[in-house]
Amino acid sequence: MMNEELYIKNRLGDRNPFRVPEGYFDSLTAEVMEKLPEEPRKGILVRLRPWMYAAACLVAVLFTATLYLMSPEAPGQMATAETTTTDTYVEDVADYVMADNNDIYACLAGDY
Amino acid sequence: MIDDRLLIEQLSNPKTQRRAFETMVRQYSEQLYWQIRRFVLSHDDANDVLQNAFIKAWQGIGSFHGDSKLLTWLSRIAINESLDFLRRQKNIITLSTDDEDLSVANTLMADDYFDGDETEAQLQEAIAKLPEVQRTVFLLRYYDDMKYSDISKMLGTSEGALKASYHIAVKKISEFFKSHD
Repeated sequence: MMNEELYIKNRLGDRNPFRVPEGYFDSLTAEVMEKLPEEPRKGILVRLRPWMYAAACLVAVLFTATLYLMSPEAPGQMATAETTTTDTYVEDVADYVMADNNDIYACLAGDY
Repeated sequence: MIDDRLLIEQLSNPKTQRRAFETMVRQYSEQLYWQIRRFVLSHDDANDVLQNAFIKAWQGIGSFHGDSKLLTWLSRIAINESLDFLRRQKNIITLSTDDEDLSVANTLMADDYFDGDETEAQLQEAIAKLPEVQRTVFLLRYYDDMKYSDISKMLGTSEGALKASYHIAVKKISEFFKSHD
């Protein structure tokens, strides 16, 4: 025990200077139990369970949608493939007729 | 006295938990009351804080998994409730007045449920002036002789930090009284 602690114990002691009304502890348990709600609050996991189910469903839907959109048969993928094919065809034709961009613009504007 | 393990088992079963809780209140309420009383000082306040602490414990029973002793868990709730109460009270007193008569020692000497003399009232005042952690560790060590390891589990503070806080608290209190000798 350090010197200061010894000093306080010797000088002041450590007795309990407080007291309670007579019979207080005899009725305390009943008083506490009377004020308790009927049911304790449910644990956080139980309370969050519906939200956890909803989140799991959302993840499942997003996962399925992602898989579908990423697959080669997905409509978005087909459109991209078609566009690429059309672009390549136009470039090939332009090369064949030796037309540059100005010729193509003039053709589109109806000057040819 | 019913064993903690049996009580925890009964507390986790909805069919037996209310009865088990009542047993727990009977077993630990007196010890918790004195812990709270040393913080809040007046009997009426200690009674209110104790009731609130048990309501909190009841509401949180689902989150107690028996990873500490029941008394440690209950003490943590009781001390947090006491400190919350003191923070609210401090705000009210600071806002209302700086009256000298409201000093802790004077209030205690006028309290019917305080048996101490002037010096003991001054000790309570010196303790009340300590910052929260120093006050908590001082009360739990000095009066309850609680181990640092138990206080550490209760407050979630390292044992080293608690030892330092206790030494500072003891030093402040002894200096307060030495200056009055």
